[in-house]
Parts: sequence; C-alpha cells; structure tokens
Amino acid sequence: MAVPVKQTEAPEQRPPASRLGSLARKYGSALGPPVFAVILAMIAGAVVIIITRPDKTVDPFTNVIHAYSALFTGSYGSLSSISDTLVRVSPLIFASISVAIAFRAGLFNIGAAGQLAVGAMAADMVGLTFTSWPSWVLIPTMLLASILAGAIWGGIAGFLKAFRGAHEVVTTIMLNWIAFFGTDYLINSPPFAAPFGTTQTIALPPNATLPPIAGVYNQIFGNGQPLLNTFTYKVDVSIFFALIALVIYWFIISRTTFGYEIRVIGQNPKAAKYAGIPTRRNIFLVMAIAGGFAGLAGSTNLMGQPGYNLTATAFSALPTGFDAIAVALLGQTTAIGILLASLLIGGLRSGSTAMQSLAHVDPNLVLIIEALVLFFIAATFLPVLRRALPAWLRPRFRPTLQTTVVARTSVDLPGNGNGDAQSGMEISDLEKEE
Amino acid sequence: MFFQVLFHALISSNTWETALTFAALLVLPALGGVISERSGVVNIAMEGMMLTGCFASVMITLLFYNLGVNNSLCVILGVLAAILAGGVMALIHAVVSINFKANQIVSGVAINIFALGLTSYLLFVLTPAGQGVPSLPASLLLPTPSWGPLSKIPWLGTVLFQQNIIFYIAILILIGVQFLLFRTNIGLRIRAVGEHPQAADTAGVNVRLLRYLCVISSGLLSGLAGAYLAIGVAGLFNTNMTDGRGYIALAAVIFGKYTPLGAAVACLIFGLGYGLSLPLQDLSSNPNLSYLLQTLPYVLVLISLVGIVGRTTPPAADGIPYEPGTE
Repeated sequence: MAVPVKQTEAPEQRPPASRLGSLARKYGSALGPPVFAVILAMIAGAVVIIITRPDKTVDPFTNVIHAYSALFTGSYGSLSSISDTLVRVSPLIFASISVAIAFRAGLFNIGAAGQLAVGAMAADMVGLTFTSWPSWVLIPTMLLASILAGAIWGGIAGFLKAFRGAHEVVTTIMLNWIAFFGTDYLINSPPFAAPFGTTQTIALPPNATLPPIAGVYNQIFGNGQPLLNTFTYKVDVSIFFALIALVIYWFIISRTTFGYEIRVIGQNPKAAKYAGIPTRRNIFLVMAIAGGFAGLAGSTNLMGQPGYNLTATAFSALPTGFDAIAVALLGQTTAIGILLASLLIGGLRSGSTAMQSLAHVDPNLVLIIEALVLFFIAATFLPVLRRALPAWLRPRFRPTLQTTVVARTSVDLPGNGNGDAQSGMEISDLEKEE
Repeated sequence: MFFQVLFHALISSNTWETALTFAALLVLPALGGVISERSGVVNIAMEGMMLTGCFASVMITLLFYNLGVNNSLCVILGVLAAILAGGVMALIHAVVSINFKANQIVSGVAINIFALGLTSYLLFVLTPAGQGVPSLPASLLLPTPSWGPLSKIPWLGTVLFQQNIIFYIAILILIGVQFLLFRTNIGLRIRAVGEHPQAADTAGVNVRLLRYLCVISSGLLSGLAGAYLAIGVAGLFNTNMTDGRGYIALAAVIFGKYTPLGAAVACLIFGLGYGLSLPLQDLSSNPNLSYLLQTLPYVLVLISLVGIVGRTTPPAADGIPYEPGTE
C-alpha cells in the first residue's frame, strides 16, 4: 500500500522589489524591535508622568511634553549639552563593547562595572606612582594598566567558566563587589588617598590626563587662544578612543578567526566543539578581552574628566556597568548599534538633570524608562503582540531574506531557551570526556 | 595582639547580636532565592524586590500614621505592604521570564534598575518638596518581643532573646522552607520542576503554576526582609538603601548550595564577617580594613565555585524557560 507522499511546498521566494527595498527590509528588521522597545518605554514613561503629575502647575500632558523636551534640550539641544552627553557616552561605549563581545560568545558579562572599577584603579595607581614620566609614556602605560587589570578581572570569570563550569553571571557579580570594596580600600589608603580624610584619591598630575577636545581645538586653530571654553565643552579625546574601539570590535567580530570562533561558540557550542574550535581557550580569552574594554571605560573617564581622581563608594553607585547591558542588547551587539544605543542611553542620562530643573520631573524617571526598555527587549513578546493584532494591522514585511548577519531580529542570549541548555551540556560533556 | 582582639571580638555578645541581625536580614531573600532557583527560575532581583519592600513599608506605615491609625496597626500594614510590593516585583519577573520566556538575567537586571528608579522617583513625587521621608519614631518600628527572664541570661540573652520580631519569624520561615522543600510532596515537585520540567510535566505537575508560585514567594520573602531593614533596623528610607544586600543573599544561595539550611549557614558566616568588621576596624592603623572584610562573602563564594570546598552546581533546568512539547 502506497504511502501518500505529502508534497512539501517550496518556501515562497519573492525576489526583492528593488535594491532599495531589500536594503530597507534588511535594516528595518534589525532596527524594528529596538526602536519599538524604546518607543513603548517612552510611552510608559509618559504614562508614569501623567499618573504622578510631578508638576502640579501644568496639566499632565503639558508636563509630559515639558519633560521630554527638557530631556532633549539637556542631551542634544545645544553644543555644550551634546558635549556633556558625549562625556557619558564614551565610557558607555567601552563598557557596552565589553558586554557585547561576551554576548557574541554566548556569555553574560554582568561584571563590566567591576572591571571598570579595577581598570580605573590600576590607571590611577600607575599615574600617581610614576608622576615624573612624560605624557607620551605615562598615558599609554596607564591605559595599558587599565586594560590589563580589567582583563585579569574578566579573565578570572572566564577561567572559572571555561575550566570549572562556574556560571559567569554569578562569578562576575561576586567579582563586582570584590572590586567595589577593594577599590574603596585602596582609594582610602595611603599612598593614594588625598589628605584630610576626603575619601578621594589625590588628583592625577597634568601629564597623566587626556586633554579636552576644546583644548586640542584651541591649540590647533587658535595658536593657544581660547576659542572654545574647556569648562563649557568638557568632552575629552576619549570619545575618539571609543570610536576606535568600536572599529576594533567590529574588526575582531567580523574579520578575524577568533571572532568567527566565538560567534560559533555563541550560536552553537556543540557545532563549535565538533568543528575543533578550542572552546575553553576562547571562552577565557573573550572574557579577558571583555574585561580589557571595560577597564578602558574606567581609565579614560578618570583621565579625561576634571577632578581626575577617584571617590570611594562611587563605583558601586555608577550606573555605567548596567547601562552597558541595556546598550548592548538595544544595539543588538553590532558596532553601529552600540554607537546609536549608547548615544540614546547616554543622552537619557545626561538629559535627566535638565528634566528636573526645567520640568520638575525627578531624574530617576530615566531609570524606569531604561528598565522598561530592557524588559521589552528581553521579553519575546513582540511576536505575541503581532499575533494578537488583527490581520489588517499586522506589519506586512516578511523576513524571508536571512542572508546577512545584520538582518538578525533577535540577539542570541545566553541562558535563553535551548542555547543555554546546549552550552551547559557542552561544559559537562567536556568534563565527561576527560 | 591581633589574635587577642579577635578572640575578644569573637566571644563578645555584641558581635554575635550584630551577626545574627545581619544574618536574619540576609536569610529571608536568600530563602526566596533558593525556592526560585530550585523551581528553575534564576533570580538575581532580590536586591530590587527588597528595596521595593523597604520603600513600601516606610511609606505605608507613615501614610496610616498620618491618618491617625493606631501605631501597631500602622506597622502591621507597613509589613504587609512590603510583602505585597516584593510580591508584585516578583510577579513582573515571573510574567516576563515564564510567559514571555525572556532571558531571566536580563529580567533580573531590569527589575533591579526598575526598583531603584521607581522607589527614588516615587520618593520624590510622594514626599513634600521631594525631600524624602523623616526617620520613623521608635513607636513605629517593628517591636522586640519580650522573653521575660530568658533575656536576662548573661551571653545568650543578648544574642538570642533581644532580637527584633522578624528575626524569630525568619527562623520559623527557614525551618518551614527546609521542611517544605525536602519533606513534602510540593517540595519534591518544586525540585523536579527545576531539574527536569519535561518529566515533571509528564507526571502531571503544572510546571508554570509551580514556577509562578515559587518566584512570587521569593518576592514575598524579599519584601519582608525589606520591611525588616527599613522599619526594623534602620527606621528610615534612603535611596538605594539595600546597598547590595540582595546580592549578598544571592551569594548565600550559591554558597549554601541551593539549600535553605546551607543558605542560612552562609548568611551566618557573612553576618559574622560583618559583626567582626566593626571591632577589627579599631585594631589596624588603617581604619579602612573593614572594606576588605566586606569582600569576604564574595571571596568565599568564588572559592566555593572553584571547587576547593566542594563544587556548587545549580539545578539542571535553572534559567531555561519551559516549552511544553520539547524533547
């Protein structure tokens, strides 16, 4: 008796209508979810303002408009506010690269905050110890020291993950707090502590600091004449370092064997193992590299901004490490995505003070917005919503073209669904074979 | 000299009283963490749930106090509000990570940020001129029950019988959770759901419901700990007043190998470290030694993860959203 053979229909292959259309589809599917998440979170933030009515003198809707326009004015409304925003964006980019490169390998680096702290501390210690060195030796040494310290901090977590199977989320959280209290100890102790019990370190000497962009501009175009006020335009050259770091990140991920290997590990650890990719070595390396990037976030911020010193108990309150998770997810771990997302999150942070002074809305509203962005990005409820919509409202595009990496609609997260089951199995599989 | 001071600190009743207070504060969220992780949902959001509990307890207590309600009723309502607030935060975590199958760590991070933002924002909105709440009067704090002659016992009286009421409740909950997880049918089901949800589902266990209940109870316990911190120990609310205690509780969960009693022992060790850090501070020429002592819980956890003192392994299905019909 003949078994009826079910005819499988060939998947519908629609040729792209035009080059422009295919490009729009490619980037649209990549941009869609993050933009949607941000818009939803902003709407939710507006609802919070409407419910709580922080400014009783105006009606709630005006209050929302005031708040969001103040948020924009305070972040990108003028050249000086853009400069203030970039001051926040630069460490955020470094820290986000740290989180993103670990994501690519299927690892969750919650430890950017701690790696940033040890990086800043290492740079500070080098800068305060070798005060007599000339700038062109001292500054690279400090940056290297911060990379090294961060790499060690991240590398510990990577080592424990690769060789002992300890979950990197747990180890990086523990290492964070060790870093926070350890740096508090060093900041308060001689020889780095400033006198008179100020719980700060001594300020770095001028030869250990990065110049503000305004200062460099004055040097080049004004023969030292103060064309731009360095107090108004605070942003320092580290923003250029951050952009270079983004290019390096892009290069590592998409143009090197190592980048290819960690992407395979992140997407399918078993396939990586059977392809002969040294999984353990790469897990250790990627966490060390992640730590190095986060360390740079600490040192460049220390060396670039006036004060040029570290304050005790400041690191545990610093939001950069956790903002970086939001940025990496929002930017879908791509270099250009990280740039855009850190401009957004950094802008929210820097505009929040203006929101308070101009619209009487507490700056902590941006924390609520940021948390909601994270929820909306993390929850795969976009398909659920799409299904719930009536057919005529559903977005028309179909992501049939899966030819490029850019077109990925979701970030492969460690610990999400079967991916983690595989990575968990992979470590235990390795254990069994030995 | 050093060992002499250390010895004196170790036998001092003050050290142990502080240690036990600190341990009780940690053990509640730690128990919540144990329950949640045992059911297969990673919970790093105890910090945020605790903070929400702190906030709710202080605000509700003050609200009813200003309405002229009887003092002890105010406190009871404050504690209930804290428990409820922690539970609501946990409910968000449950919905996002069980229904929407979100990454549970992202959800946990988001809850922590959300709790910090929400409590600070509401503190600004709800208090006049946004200047925060005043310290609570002693009559609005959680009471210390009187044990009569027992509290007069020389060393033991100070250590055990002059504690806040939540301390004794925490001990009862600890025993209860240990019994629940390892001596009851429900406990067996919880552990089965955390180890192998497919098998548990086949055996007729409602995986989602059980995970929901476990995550929510972790929030209830963390909220109670928040009330203990805010209207039991500190008597006020500050922005970010939990200051990493939720993370120490997480450390205790792992150091205690995901068991209630283990977590309690871990909390006691961490509490003792905290209790010792105060007298040892006076000892050194560098008064910042306490910072290093505060790293103790985290260093211990790292060592336990390295496997020198026995390996810690999480439940097999921890962190993996359950998809019916897989496997």
